[in-house]
Amino acid sequence: MFRQGGGPLGALPYTLWLLAAFAAPLGAVLLMSLQDSTEPFAPLSLIPAFTQYGELLGDAFYWRTFLNTLVLGAGVTLASAVLAYPVALWLTRLPARWRPLGFACVLVPLLTNVVVRSLGIILLLSPTGVLAQAIMAFGLPRPSLLFGWFAVGLSLVQVFMPYLVLALYDVLDGQDARLAEAANGLGAGPAMTFWRVTLPLSLQGLRAGLTVVFLLASTAYVSATLVGGRKVYVSAMVVYREGLENLNYPLASALAVLMMAASILVTVLLSRAIWRFTPWLSQARARAPLVVPRALVAVMEAIGPWTGRLLLALGLFLLLFPLLLVAVASVNDTPQATMAQFRGFTWKWYGLIWANERYLGDAWTSVKLAAAAVAVSLVISLPAAFALVRGGFRGRHGLGAALMLPLALPGIAIGLGMLKLLQWFTVIPPFLGMLAVHVVLVAPFTLAMLRASVAALDRAQEEAAGGLGAPPVRVFLRIVLPQLAPGVFVAALLGFLISFGEVTVSAFLTTARLQTLPVRIYAEAAFSLENTVNAISTLTILLTVALLLVVNRFVALDRVWKR
Amino acid sequence: MSFRLSRRATLGAALAAPVIWGRDAVAQIRAGDELTVGVWGGMQERILREFVATPLEQQHGVKINFVLGGTTDRRARAYAERGRPSFDIVYLNIFESRQAVKDGVTQPVTDNVPNAAHLYPVAKLGGYGVAFNPVTIVYDKRKVAPMMSWRDFWRDDLKGKIIWPSYPGAQGTAALLMAAKVWGGSENNIDPAFTHIAALKPFAAIQASQDQLYAMFDQEVGAASVEFGSFTRVYAETRNPNIVIAEPSEGQAVATNVACITTGTTKQALADAWVNLHLSPACQRAYAERIYYSPTVNNVDLPPDLAAKLVVGPAAVDKLVDFDWDVVIRNQARWSNRFTREIAG
Repeated sequence: MFRQGGGPLGALPYTLWLLAAFAAPLGAVLLMSLQDSTEPFAPLSLIPAFTQYGELLGDAFYWRTFLNTLVLGAGVTLASAVLAYPVALWLTRLPARWRPLGFACVLVPLLTNVVVRSLGIILLLSPTGVLAQAIMAFGLPRPSLLFGWFAVGLSLVQVFMPYLVLALYDVLDGQDARLAEAANGLGAGPAMTFWRVTLPLSLQGLRAGLTVVFLLASTAYVSATLVGGRKVYVSAMVVYREGLENLNYPLASALAVLMMAASILVTVLLSRAIWRFTPWLSQARARAPLVVPRALVAVMEAIGPWTGRLLLALGLFLLLFPLLLVAVASVNDTPQATMAQFRGFTWKWYGLIWANERYLGDAWTSVKLAAAAVAVSLVISLPAAFALVRGGFRGRHGLGAALMLPLALPGIAIGLGMLKLLQWFTVIPPFLGMLAVHVVLVAPFTLAMLRASVAALDRAQEEAAGGLGAPPVRVFLRIVLPQLAPGVFVAALLGFLISFGEVTVSAFLTTARLQTLPVRIYAEAAFSLENTVNAISTLTILLTVALLLVVNRFVALDRVWKR
Repeated sequence: MSFRLSRRATLGAALAAPVIWGRDAVAQIRAGDELTVGVWGGMQERILREFVATPLEQQHGVKINFVLGGTTDRRARAYAERGRPSFDIVYLNIFESRQAVKDGVTQPVTDNVPNAAHLYPVAKLGGYGVAFNPVTIVYDKRKVAPMMSWRDFWRDDLKGKIIWPSYPGAQGTAALLMAAKVWGGSENNIDPAFTHIAALKPFAAIQASQDQLYAMFDQEVGAASVEFGSFTRVYAETRNPNIVIAEPSEGQAVATNVACITTGTTKQALADAWVNLHLSPACQRAYAERIYYSPTVNNVDLPPDLAAKLVVGPAAVDKLVDFDWDVVIRNQARWSNRFTREIAG
């Protein structure tokens, strides 16, 4: 299964799952995008009409929105990568004992709900806020940072940077420390070591991270709604507006299909570009590396370490700021969750969680759902990862991109497709239906992460074990799996958090009998968010730290034998 | 042609017959029945649990399921499930509810709900209005002079301080229609509204919900907007005493929360009983006391100091500015497109 030259067979379970749970809503969206009539109760026509596409492509507003969204996605991805490297490197250098806490820092934004996170951005960027004061201290005019593109970009970087950190963590941690020592011994300073050794060797992880972050950032719309102040229009917002507010499914579907096409294109281009810069993996002829002029080397070595430290501080601040906010708000004596002023100290919001058994019931549903979704995702992604990395078959890049499809289709569009299939959907037991969809949402992440981990495996060890007579199963269990453990752990953790926090699609599948905690939180936010939410967030973060500490006792979060 | 018609009629009768015979079976509440209600979360859910759900559960041994969320998602779902609803009751806004009745998604008002006899006429169109929640001008009194008219938005001292509500949505719809009204237009002649609102640019911000507006007021991003008087009063009393809820001379724009029983529900009697309890004086009073929602029935007694903050009595209800919601909903997509191009963006 994991040997050289395997065919695409390993990717079969994953592909089948996608066909069962993802092809249906996708098909519905495709069919709707080809309808001519936009009346909500028009009979479905099977003759394709390209009216909606014509409408979209002939309108400058949609073009502008579409391109703005792609630029936003690219900008967010780039900024996340720049901030993620120092944080990921910091994480790999932490002593093993402290590592769970390091992980917890990275996960804070993912554990805080978007409403509260947005409040953090608002406080940070408000005309009377910290940043505005700092800029004015330099004698510059009062900046208008809030409710615009900058605010949206910053809030997206905050929540998507963790994905990149985790994607990089695994490949960076897997790197042989002797390589850096060798570079050092040959006269390279920290900046050149990073540029010539660390960076190229982490490109596979970077590819996974960049893909995931770009796809997420270019399909997100909740943050844009909350901190963009409706001056910012992104594609997914237009899909929501046309599909749900105006009940114009055909136009919304056509836009969703165009978004998906753009995402696929970017994924393929990224994959090819990274492949090009990692000739040792593709067994292509290596090209001579770019020569960096001596003067530039000196400059890089002089400013490199300081830039790294500055970026690390910036990254950690951005990650931890929501925690401060949530913890303080959870003991604030005010009924509204999104209140900026501190009114007095109270523990009562913690008491109210336990008084409200519905919160607990919904939280338990979310935990069960997330655990099941992660288990299934890992089982189907691992063989697929081997097939994609080691399989020598043609069309590998194409298949890799196809398996990431669910990420490329905006969540809101999956919801739209589901809405059309609801009557069929109600036949399936609610938990199973929700699980099927959550696996579709989680599996692309686990696949992206595991692909990078599999690519980083030391094959010499496998060959040695095989040469010493170990049967393949034993090689897998004793050599491959231990090397993959940190990657699997990170993928599972991330998958769990994605499922646990998912709202956009779940909201469509929520029934009276099956409601997840985030869906409840958003339902309450539509009216007025209560402060119990902050108490829940604080407890979730503490629980995660505890869980990480426990996990660290049983599973090594790092590869001790590499040191 | 005539043959086809008669065949369709026969088919229709054949399909309808079991429904009529079966009526008796669904016309009573049975223990163990489950009612699924789609409604907003927060305080409204709590009031409904206390005054409607719990009494029904205790009296009849039924189970009430709440599905919480915003109007848009709920409405989209009800439309997708027309005729075979998974919801028995959905709560909608004034314009959505009237259109939903026209589209055959939800039922019109019937006599099976005794308390509906006390409803004001305006709260009876397109489902059972359960609360008046008018939309009006709200402003920060430290930053701008008192606002007495919808035309005051065009005063010089408000330039750059306005937080306009996004369209569609109850607030954005009211703002757009009131602008049309005060500038010589109407729902049938919307151009004056768009040209005049565009002239107000640049806006301090565009707000998409009350919670967002209050964060903007907290951070002093802008000084005036259009919002529900009810929530804003709670905000002003608990959080920001500088905010004033204006009584413009042209009146406040009507908005209602409407309980809509879905077409094709299998729990008709239970759904009727639910709505009846929601319209009961006790529940209506709780709405008024806790979230400043104004009663839609004329048989609720409120203390004078509370009544002064609400819309109470036929005269006050008549003063609410109403619109031709058919025209509004028919133009929504077009106006929404114009809004993103000419005003936001």
